[in-house]
Amino acid sequence: MDAVIYLSLGVMLVAGVMAVMLPSMTKSAIALAVASAALGMILYELGGIWAALFEISVCSGLVTVILISAISLSNIDKEELPKVYEDKKRMALLPYVLIAGGVMLVAVALWAGFTLPVADQAANLGTYLRGILWNNRQVDIWGQIIVLLTGAVAVVVLFRERD
Amino acid sequence: MWFCLGSVINLPGFGWEIMMLIIGFLLIIAGAYCIIRTYHLLKIIIGMEIAMKAVTLLIILAGLVNGNLALAQSFVITIIVIEVVVAVVAAGIAVSLYKKYGSMEIRNLRKLKG
Repeated sequence: MDAVIYLSLGVMLVAGVMAVMLPSMTKSAIALAVASAALGMILYELGGIWAALFEISVCSGLVTVILISAISLSNIDKEELPKVYEDKKRMALLPYVLIAGGVMLVAVALWAGFTLPVADQAANLGTYLRGILWNNRQVDIWGQIIVLLTGAVAVVVLFRERD
Repeated sequence: MWFCLGSVINLPGFGWEIMMLIIGFLLIIAGAYCIIRTYHLLKIIIGMEIAMKAVTLLIILAGLVNGNLALAQSFVITIIVIEVVVAVVAAGIAVSLYKKYGSMEIRNLRKLKG
């Protein structure tokens, strides 16, 4: 289990940085999907089965489809190359920022002897999740419905045919 | 690399929980850097998605450490729904911007009137 988590964390970090740094938008969208899939694997390994299901199906699938559709509709891979290269120059500093940040965080963790409590594996999560979603966090469900409806209305307005 | 760091070298108190914490912070830095440094709207969406993935990771870690993974999962599901809606609306705005100005540069948004 530990090896899978370490591997998925590494894949997630590399794919996330690639998604930010790659000049091609299509490749960035695919790297984002890989990062989502790695996150889904971590969630599954830690016992968050429903969150993993949503992450892989919605974030890794739907969001990638939306991004690639937007890229196809605008054909930016061919037409905005000068702009993309300008972005590439701007992103060149990111690895140094991340390496410096990583070294600093590791140094702080080692210096302070920072440890987290032992992680628990909760049992029978399906029932708990259902109960929490429908009883404790009912307002969240209503909020999600409102956000979804707002998104639908926004898309209809954005793609409305003009007379 | 991470496998080596955590298991083979076996630093004291340096398990996958700390690694998750550090990678979560690094991905938030990467996403924020992307949002700050680029003018391309789709790239900004990608940066925001990366930062939200890191937040999801940290929330699940918090739920796991507290022994309340079910509550963390309900938060993650809410985050995923919001993330998708934001991505859809932002992609719609990006395509509309491209149709109007032939570019997805966010500085074009300043030219809009009304």
